[in-house]
Amino acid sequence: MSVKHMVEPDVGFINEVASLGGGDLKKCFQCATCSVACAISPDTKPFPRKEMIAASWGLKDRLVADADIWLCHNCGDCTTRCPRGAKPAEVLAAIRAYAVNEYSTPKGLAKAVANPKMLPVLLAVPAAIFIGLGLILKMFGIDWLNFAPHGDVIWQSHFINNYLVDIIMVPTFFAAIGIFGLGLKRFVMDIHANAVAEGKTDKTEFEPMEFVKAIGRVVPKIIKHQQFDQCTENRARSTAHMMVLFSFIGLFIVTNCFFVAEWILHIEGPYSQLSPVKWLGNISGVALIIGGFLLLKNRLAKTDRGSSYWDWYLIGLVLGLGLTGMATQMARLGGLAGPTYVIYFVHLLLIWALFAYTPFSKLGHLVYRTVAMTYNEYSGRK
Amino acid sequence: MTEEKSAPASGSILVVGGGISGLTTTLEAAEVGYEVFLVENNPSLGGRVAQLNQYFPKLCPPTCGLEINFRRIKDNPNIKVFTLAEVEKVDGSPGNYNVRIKLSPRYVNENCTCCDECAKACDTERPNAFNFGMDQQKAAYLPHEMAFPARYVLAPEIIGTDAAQKCKDACPYDAIDLDMAAKTIDLNVGAIVWATGWEPYDATKMDNLGFGQYENIITNMMMERLAAPNGPTQGKVFRPSDDKEPESVAFVQCAGSRDENHLPYCSYICCMASLKQATYVRERYPDAKIYIFYIDIRSPGQRYENFYKKVKEDENVFLIKGKVAEVSQDPATKNVTVVAENAVTGEKIHQEVEMAVLATGMQPTAANTTLPADLKFNTDGFMMNDFAKGGMFAAGCATKPADVVSSNQNATGMALKAIQTLVRR
Repeated sequence: MSVKHMVEPDVGFINEVASLGGGDLKKCFQCATCSVACAISPDTKPFPRKEMIAASWGLKDRLVADADIWLCHNCGDCTTRCPRGAKPAEVLAAIRAYAVNEYSTPKGLAKAVANPKMLPVLLAVPAAIFIGLGLILKMFGIDWLNFAPHGDVIWQSHFINNYLVDIIMVPTFFAAIGIFGLGLKRFVMDIHANAVAEGKTDKTEFEPMEFVKAIGRVVPKIIKHQQFDQCTENRARSTAHMMVLFSFIGLFIVTNCFFVAEWILHIEGPYSQLSPVKWLGNISGVALIIGGFLLLKNRLAKTDRGSSYWDWYLIGLVLGLGLTGMATQMARLGGLAGPTYVIYFVHLLLIWALFAYTPFSKLGHLVYRTVAMTYNEYSGRK
Repeated sequence: MTEEKSAPASGSILVVGGGISGLTTTLEAAEVGYEVFLVENNPSLGGRVAQLNQYFPKLCPPTCGLEINFRRIKDNPNIKVFTLAEVEKVDGSPGNYNVRIKLSPRYVNENCTCCDECAKACDTERPNAFNFGMDQQKAAYLPHEMAFPARYVLAPEIIGTDAAQKCKDACPYDAIDLDMAAKTIDLNVGAIVWATGWEPYDATKMDNLGFGQYENIITNMMMERLAAPNGPTQGKVFRPSDDKEPESVAFVQCAGSRDENHLPYCSYICCMASLKQATYVRERYPDAKIYIFYIDIRSPGQRYENFYKKVKEDENVFLIKGKVAEVSQDPATKNVTVVAENAVTGEKIHQEVEMAVLATGMQPTAANTTLPADLKFNTDGFMMNDFAKGGMFAAGCATKPADVVSSNQNATGMALKAIQTLVRR
């Protein structure tokens, strides 16, 4: 008996991928140069040739559940070698953006994050929360918001109290993790089902324990940027990405240290510039700014590669965080009270945006790519 | 009644390029009575076809088609052939062109009997361009065994040296004239047909396909020379690194063709060339395995389709849908590994072979040189005919990638176009 395959093209999906930067996908004539040009594509069911045909057929369900779109590190070797200018790297990036949207809830928020016109609204949300919550607490006699801070020492906590910051940031952070959690179980099951259906793995039964063990093998690869380093076209991104990733880790540690200082040890800032935690914070901050500029420079230099709002949003956020954070400190040490408080406020908005919008933005790759790489490691694919 | 062979109208035709298309235009026009000047910048006629081992449609050796054409040229007083000749300038309008032609010296006159004494005496060698540098030739040489005109040539680089003098001294027929100088001639013609042909696309430009880096990666035109009885290996297909008879050969289709980074168009002939060359290897080596990596096999027309079917039936020929995008070499064995994704099975293949052939495409000669006339070209360098303006026409592979059959049909048509220009004058 013959097996019947029914292709149900989702034209809306094709148009969506095109609008997210994959507009040249229909030029593909399936020569498979891309799958060979890619240094990190496996021998078993390599990518991105199969993704290119699935995309032009509008096979949405197959693509969002395809872990391979996340194995791609977007170096662009395939786009450079493509004989048709179909830009496979850009198509995969567009599908990733679509997939982030697909696995995040609420959908409306995902749409807003992908829409440049909504950016002011998205930033107004944390402003409203900070000021609104501050004013409400004032009514109950908790004075954590002071619009006219004065005193000999400039310290941002005099303006927006650190406790107010923390009671907003900490739940936001965990909410983001919760949102990831909601999509993640479905994501893992989907990529597993896809891998079995496409013959990428022979492990038909999903083994959660083995999967968890694979994390231990994948994390060192990510830390060392081994995948990035195999790219030929765009090696410079490796350094830039490494700086940004490590500085985010550094700043996360610093934030936690000061959280402990504030809430448990009750040590009030400003903290000494000589404290090792401050050192780590400053080194990370500088690395974040340099890394951000390198990312920007690399993207601008690659005129043959496509970049969309999806990409600029993340670079803007990285640079915004780094620059406002550093500028706040500079202004404070320079004794400029006004600028310190204004810039600090912007910095807070960006941090909140970082936490709250990560599951809906390009930064979501932090979770999806890690999970997809882990699954690939677990699957034993060659 | 008109007298036999007299032109029905005045004026003559210039044909630029002495390959299969130029020969055809020349003969078709001359045999109905027109005076034709044939200009060829190589020392002999025949063009790319002369370099082939066999050519479609009947898989004849080139001698088969070319010799009869040479014979017809010899017999026809209407034809004047200029070799080592180059068009320098074209002025005028349809029906009346003034053409300046530069003739480079051959240093050998019509006394030459091809006795080979000069070559024996010559102690200077140079890479044989006719064989794509796969062997050496003496600096006093016959371009190839069926060269027409059948006359030796002295390479210009030896003129003024002892080597040239030795050649002259060795010649028993006083055929070597070292004082021969370049000269220009002016012709007045009514129509010009440009049959400037094609060049194999420079395979070193595909930096991922290893040509020029790995010894056992050759081009399809080199394969023709290896298989040709008058080639560097007398028709034995050996791999270059150690002259071994290859037990496995990979053909890399679309090496440069259908690629925006190289030649954006399909070169038309390479699929059939590789299928044909697969038979060269299979006829010689009954156990050899052939791997043909392709995007699509293009075998246009029933005749070519049947040929494709026949090759496909050979169980030692494997056709894999997937373009080779990476090659490597085993430093010890000099074997080549080609990498492609089989787009049918979705598996990446690392195929080790003893030799790989790049099916490089056709680039019009005009893409890399400027022709001294008011002609129109497309972005790829193919000439575009302007029939409304008329007067000058392009024939054969100067206009599009084509096989010999279509080139000849096209060249015949252009002979008629040239004649019409003269008649309407």
